[in-house]
Amino acid sequence: MINYKVIFHIIGFLLILTGMFMLTGIPFSIYYGSDDIAALLISSFITALVGAAAWYLTRGRSSKEVTKREGYIIVTFGWIFMSLFGALPFIIHGAIPSFTDAFFETMSGFTTTGATILTDIEAMPYGLLFWRSLTQWLGGMGIIVLSLALLPLLGIGGMQLFIAEVPGPTKDKIHPRVRETAKRLWGIYFLLTLAESLLLFLGGMNLFDAITHSFTTMATGGFSTKNTSIGYYASPFIQYVIILFMFFAGINFTIHYYALHRRFDFFKTNDEFRFYSLFILIATLLVMITHLSLDVRSFEESFRQSLFHVVSLVTTTGFVTSDYENWAYFSRMIFFILLFVGGCAGSTGGGIKIIRHFVLLKNSLLELKRVVHPRAVIPVRVNGKSVSFEIISNMQAFFIFYILIFVLGSLIMSFIGLDFISALGAVATSLGNIGPGIGTVGPVANFAHIPVIGKWFLSFLMLLGRLELFTVLILFSPAFWKR
Amino acid sequence: MRIIIAGMGDVGQHLAKQLSTESHDIIAIDTDSQRLNYIGSVTDILTINGSSTSINILNEAKVNRADLLVAVTSSEGVNMTTAMLAKKLGAHRTVARIGNDEYLDPQSGVNFSELGIDFMIYPEELAANETVNLILRTAATDILEFENGKLSVMGLKLDKNAPVINKKVVDVAREYHTSYFRIVAIYRNFKTIIPSGNDKFLPNDQVFVITTPGGIENILRLAGKENFSFHNIMILGGGKIGRKVAKVLQESMTVKLIESNEDKSFELADHLSKTLIIRGDGRDIDLLAQEGIIDMDAFIALTEDAETNIITCLMAKHLGVKKTIALVDKADYIPLTQTIGLDSLINKKLIAANNISRFIRKGEVVAIATLEGIDAEVLEYIAQPGSAITKKKIKQLGFPREAIIGGVIRRDQSFIAVGDTEINEYDKVVVFLLPAAAKSVEKFFHA
Repeated sequence: MINYKVIFHIIGFLLILTGMFMLTGIPFSIYYGSDDIAALLISSFITALVGAAAWYLTRGRSSKEVTKREGYIIVTFGWIFMSLFGALPFIIHGAIPSFTDAFFETMSGFTTTGATILTDIEAMPYGLLFWRSLTQWLGGMGIIVLSLALLPLLGIGGMQLFIAEVPGPTKDKIHPRVRETAKRLWGIYFLLTLAESLLLFLGGMNLFDAITHSFTTMATGGFSTKNTSIGYYASPFIQYVIILFMFFAGINFTIHYYALHRRFDFFKTNDEFRFYSLFILIATLLVMITHLSLDVRSFEESFRQSLFHVVSLVTTTGFVTSDYENWAYFSRMIFFILLFVGGCAGSTGGGIKIIRHFVLLKNSLLELKRVVHPRAVIPVRVNGKSVSFEIISNMQAFFIFYILIFVLGSLIMSFIGLDFISALGAVATSLGNIGPGIGTVGPVANFAHIPVIGKWFLSFLMLLGRLELFTVLILFSPAFWKR
Repeated sequence: MRIIIAGMGDVGQHLAKQLSTESHDIIAIDTDSQRLNYIGSVTDILTINGSSTSINILNEAKVNRADLLVAVTSSEGVNMTTAMLAKKLGAHRTVARIGNDEYLDPQSGVNFSELGIDFMIYPEELAANETVNLILRTAATDILEFENGKLSVMGLKLDKNAPVINKKVVDVAREYHTSYFRIVAIYRNFKTIIPSGNDKFLPNDQVFVITTPGGIENILRLAGKENFSFHNIMILGGGKIGRKVAKVLQESMTVKLIESNEDKSFELADHLSKTLIIRGDGRDIDLLAQEGIIDMDAFIALTEDAETNIITCLMAKHLGVKKTIALVDKADYIPLTQTIGLDSLINKKLIAANNISRFIRKGEVVAIATLEGIDAEVLEYIAQPGSAITKKKIKQLGFPREAIIGGVIRRDQSFIAVGDTEINEYDKVVVFLLPAAAKSVEKFFHA
């Protein structure tokens, strides 16, 4: 029996929260005198009202416990409802008149994808731009994790929601209780965002840009308030700060937690972190090989541009500083491949995730050894501990689903009318929550030209990717609905 | 509080579930990873897979920051070693479950707290005590005594013809002299209700009443029961519990004990001189008939096997035995057995868990108990000087609705609490509560 009451109860709370957050852009609207205050107020009112009604009507004792199934339904539909209501400010103001476009933009925000249908971002009013960046920040660490931190909402059920929303094949609790874990994760997230805002502000950005860019960096989102993304800022300092914080955002947040407690042994013991750093370094060097042309750019500039795009794509942020569509074929090929990497488990990054690549690769290599020694016991070891067969099997299933969805998605997009390259790029970038793809959805292009049906499909892929396939796919399996 | 629980058997799981809902930080250690996965997915706790006697594992659980370590694995040796190691590594307090009552003897000559074990619990002894209590108070399904019986909480099942059926709580209170007792909870359809004045009594309700010794007569009358005293007792199973129960009861009653194991029955005969030991299978109805089960006042099934205990008790009930008590250690069976007509249940693991959770409450709690199968807990607090509870009359306190103040013990006297009662410093107060209210009730007693 699925308890629909508790589902609406919690989704109601999420909407109240979403409605409240809509108001936070208003100070900027007032300061800059933009005309979106009414739109934000009305949207906030509608969202919070609907949320409060759902919350109030379903209150009571049965709204306290969440089982595994309800957890998956709450998270999936919570995200869908948030995106539906989160689109209201754009529609009511009229900056994005089409419902499809507004939903796409909001889903792209909450899932930290960063793909946009806007052709002229700078023409948007400030309050809406702030809301657009904020959706990414909320989606990055997860709005459900935030509500777990804010409310003693659920005891046992909290764990189910946590499992369904937090990315990564294994869920680390840094505290025995979910609520405390959620508080600590959001605390670190907030501190890092604050630190980046400060550095960007010192580097010459104005306060509005510093905050909005910090939101979208730490969420590995990639929405910029400028048409040319980070390319707008010529300052190497700003670009390096953003590289550093994209790198931070792509690390497992438990590592940040331990670092805050002055435990730095992860340099030696955390395989995923080392693999992540090494991978970024090698990919940057490979890109540089063809990008280095000293007559046009200095060595430093080549390095910076290569590193920026590699980190941006690996962490699934999707900021750009230049149009890499003009770069050498080899570099572009690497960028395409990077769309499938993803951040570390427990980071705000999307994609397949470093840990899965690491374990599956290691497992495949060990398979060779197992063939030679058929009776040997050869476990896959990560961080000095062997990984259970169940986890490897889960990762394999994830990988296969991911590739399968990519292939089917590309077929669908080409059927709709996208060219070969753009179809691959659009699907890979949406599923991986990255933002820019290749072809007509490349780094300086946008998604405005995609047909309506395609936008809905890509929005769905973003949700699939952000919730790591299973949370959403489970809802399509007959086993889930059988009693 | 940060609590480490070593061993996720029934006792450990029950503790983990109960304590995590009260927002304590629980870290569970067990060697069985599947069991940990299960408990970790249904409760909000941190799990560590490994042996609790490993220093590495204990350090991983940050034992130096633990307020309490509870060792409740199935092995006594592991529990004691774990407790000792944990204490040396910095755990504030340690509790170990044991299976040998020699350790509890103050004359043993071994100072266990010096070794690092602050407290030991022996579930079999606790279960035996409860069984004996139930036999001495025959009409009750459950019984908890506070301060040597100055106050007791009794559970009674209402028959169809009980005089209170379909009456409201307020009316019953008016009709009978409620200055001696108070209804604190009703268990109906698998739910525990803390009653308000307008709730009605229905047939088959299990009603929990707190009473002073003077109120027992009245309670039995309103439940339509009489307290008869027992003469003939049959016990099935000569394990640790059965042996202890027989040892106490044989002093005042005729006790027959059935044990299937030959060596064990000889040893029992040696040990229990006033008890008649019978070797045989308790499921054999001919044997029971031969030994005169029809003439028995009570039948107590205490074998290791819950199913055997339930079946034999049902058989005894069918043959007209007035009172049956079954040892049922499978927690899953508890709600069921109450509907199929067993009188009383003893669950030694639950009793053990409750006994341990006493250590987890703040120091003001003197005793704690949970009633079989229902969610409510009964706690005995000492009102600290300057605590909120001593400042106002009970009805003005704003006490949580999920809790009820039952009775007060002031020096040698005990009385039932009413709205106008004022509580003094150092009064012992018996409170009935649902777990959700535990935290807010605690605040009232804290200075």
